[in-house]
Amino acid sequence: MTNALQNNVPDGVTEIDTTARCPLFLLVGSGLVWLVLGGVLALLHLAQSYTPALLADCAWLTYGRLQAIQETVLVYGWFGNAGLAVVLWVLARLGESPLRGRNYITVGALFWNLAITLAVIGIAAGDVTSFPLLQMPRYVQAILLFSFAAIAVPGVLAWSGRRSDATFVSHWYALAALFLFPWFFSVAQVMLNFVPVRGTLQSVVATWYAQNVFSLWLAPVAMAAVYYLLPKITGRVIQNYDFAVYGFWTLLFFGCWMGGRHLIGGPVPAWIPTMAIVCAWLVLFHHIIVYFNLREAFRPGSSTVLKFLAMGLGSYLLSAVVDTAFASRILAEVTQFTFFQQAQMQLAFGSVTLIIFGALYYLVPRLAGAHWPSVSLVRGHFLAVVLGLVLFVVALGAAGWTQGMGLNDAGQTFVDIAAKTKSWLLVATAAQGVLLVGNLLFLVHFLWLAIGQAPVWKLIRQPSAAEATVS
Amino acid sequence: MKNGPLFFSGLFSVLALSWVGLILGAHVQLGELRPFYDENEGRAFPLRSSGIAERGLLVYQDLGCVACHTQQVRRPDFGSDKDRGWGERQSVARDYVHQSRPQLGQMRIGPDLANYGARAEASGLTEAELLAKLYNGWGGMPPYRFLFTQKKIIGESSPHALVGGAAPGYELVPTARARELVTYLLSLNQSYEFPEARPYTPAAAEEKPAQ
Repeated sequence: MTNALQNNVPDGVTEIDTTARCPLFLLVGSGLVWLVLGGVLALLHLAQSYTPALLADCAWLTYGRLQAIQETVLVYGWFGNAGLAVVLWVLARLGESPLRGRNYITVGALFWNLAITLAVIGIAAGDVTSFPLLQMPRYVQAILLFSFAAIAVPGVLAWSGRRSDATFVSHWYALAALFLFPWFFSVAQVMLNFVPVRGTLQSVVATWYAQNVFSLWLAPVAMAAVYYLLPKITGRVIQNYDFAVYGFWTLLFFGCWMGGRHLIGGPVPAWIPTMAIVCAWLVLFHHIIVYFNLREAFRPGSSTVLKFLAMGLGSYLLSAVVDTAFASRILAEVTQFTFFQQAQMQLAFGSVTLIIFGALYYLVPRLAGAHWPSVSLVRGHFLAVVLGLVLFVVALGAAGWTQGMGLNDAGQTFVDIAAKTKSWLLVATAAQGVLLVGNLLFLVHFLWLAIGQAPVWKLIRQPSAAEATVS
Repeated sequence: MKNGPLFFSGLFSVLALSWVGLILGAHVQLGELRPFYDENEGRAFPLRSSGIAERGLLVYQDLGCVACHTQQVRRPDFGSDKDRGWGERQSVARDYVHQSRPQLGQMRIGPDLANYGARAEASGLTEAELLAKLYNGWGGMPPYRFLFTQKKIIGESSPHALVGGAAPGYELVPTARARELVTYLLSLNQSYEFPEARPYTPAAAEEKPAQ
């Protein structure tokens, strides 16, 4: 394989990359398929928000169910698959030896995707829990948990079997992402589905879970990728590296208290939102440190990877500032219960998506042992994603603000409010369309690289010499 | 942080701390919450809902109604909930003690439903009218036609059938799910008082000159 492509191989490809090709391609590929599917569903869902009669006769795709499906596909389908691929690869590179137990990844990934497929069908059939970001039916959750554990095994082995004794910032973030998710996922599952707590406590647990998905899982995945890739690409050490450890613990320590900001004014003890507001301010310390560590990324030059990382990091920081500002009671009075909150969520998720895209542009050619076949597809993807995301977040935010002002004016009926938000929602739909086109380009490009370079039958894994020496 | 065990105990304690502080803390405060016995009324509030209404909650949940409707009234000086007639007082945790899965919601594309039953009673909205609204859709709400079936009239027509809408010789009958959902919606009521939640007029509003 390498002989045939010797002239076309990216720099620094080692056995670590080539041996991980099949399992990680499975993760990345399925992640991208879910991302595109999620985009189609998001488009439908947005269209329903201003044409309520759309698909109204189809019980499987009511507005509520479509939202739950789309959320599940985005978080578990896209972030789950692609995020895990990035984390595993970072851990393998840092461990300086090929991933061990790679079959665990393949089996885990198959079951993980099977579970998401089941979840989508289950939700469409009406088995929806009504908890944000944890909408899938309870029979899927055990499969998800065990397949996550299987996929995580090689990551943990890569860490425990690392060649050098030292650990790096990306190590910490990567491990936090691998370990914390199963913990809070199973806790939430037990407290919400198997032995549900009483009354509004369920909402407290649900917001705690939803916040953890971002603060303890997706944000660490993104940080692991940036902290690894930035010095790798620029060839310079991370500035103020000593402070990174405080940034790490601040995110974990305060991040998981922030969920209560969605319960401002709600039927829960008032200290829960108050703690959340305070912690939203305190967690900014993490973002300040991340900025001072990684500001090198904001001078990307001509590197595609760095451009994605810079945009992702920028939206990551912006999202933190916006979340903090709109956690305050004065602003929440307007934005609570509106599209604005969805805009905030999309900005946060979008930042992680951009960072994962950046990481994929770096790691996929190394796994494949070949360069990306088309420069214009890369450019097209970058333009579409950045334009789409900016437009989408701004339009949803504006729709939310209009809606919030309308809601607080008792003279306006819901029909008035819907008429006022409609134009912004149309813009958001267009933006979602642009995003979808961009992601479709990326999927095509990925398949071209993955399948076009190596015939399909070669993707089926042959036992390699490395295995004998490692195990 | 080369020390693996220390690192993992750090990770574990961070998560455990938030769990103990936030969830266990709230549980200690709310876990034992009981209905409030109102001596004037001679009954304990909130009332237990009927079995049909409980099943209606499941229909509400599985259709994803929560994506557009909240069921939590904010206090009178926070937002326009009171002015819109959604409730005289703020919803509190005690309102939900009997609900197997409270549908608080995070989005208001449609009105808040915490007091929907009370509002329907006040405006004289009947079950049949609500079923018709469900079939036709109204305002920005989509119609839910799949909750109804068209049946051939054999002998006497069904007492629940909608008026019109079906071909001659046929009738539109709400399914059991539709009737459960409607019963549930009409049971939503938080219009009683608790010691911790009584209707009040915000001070700022009182000082404002009448307009």
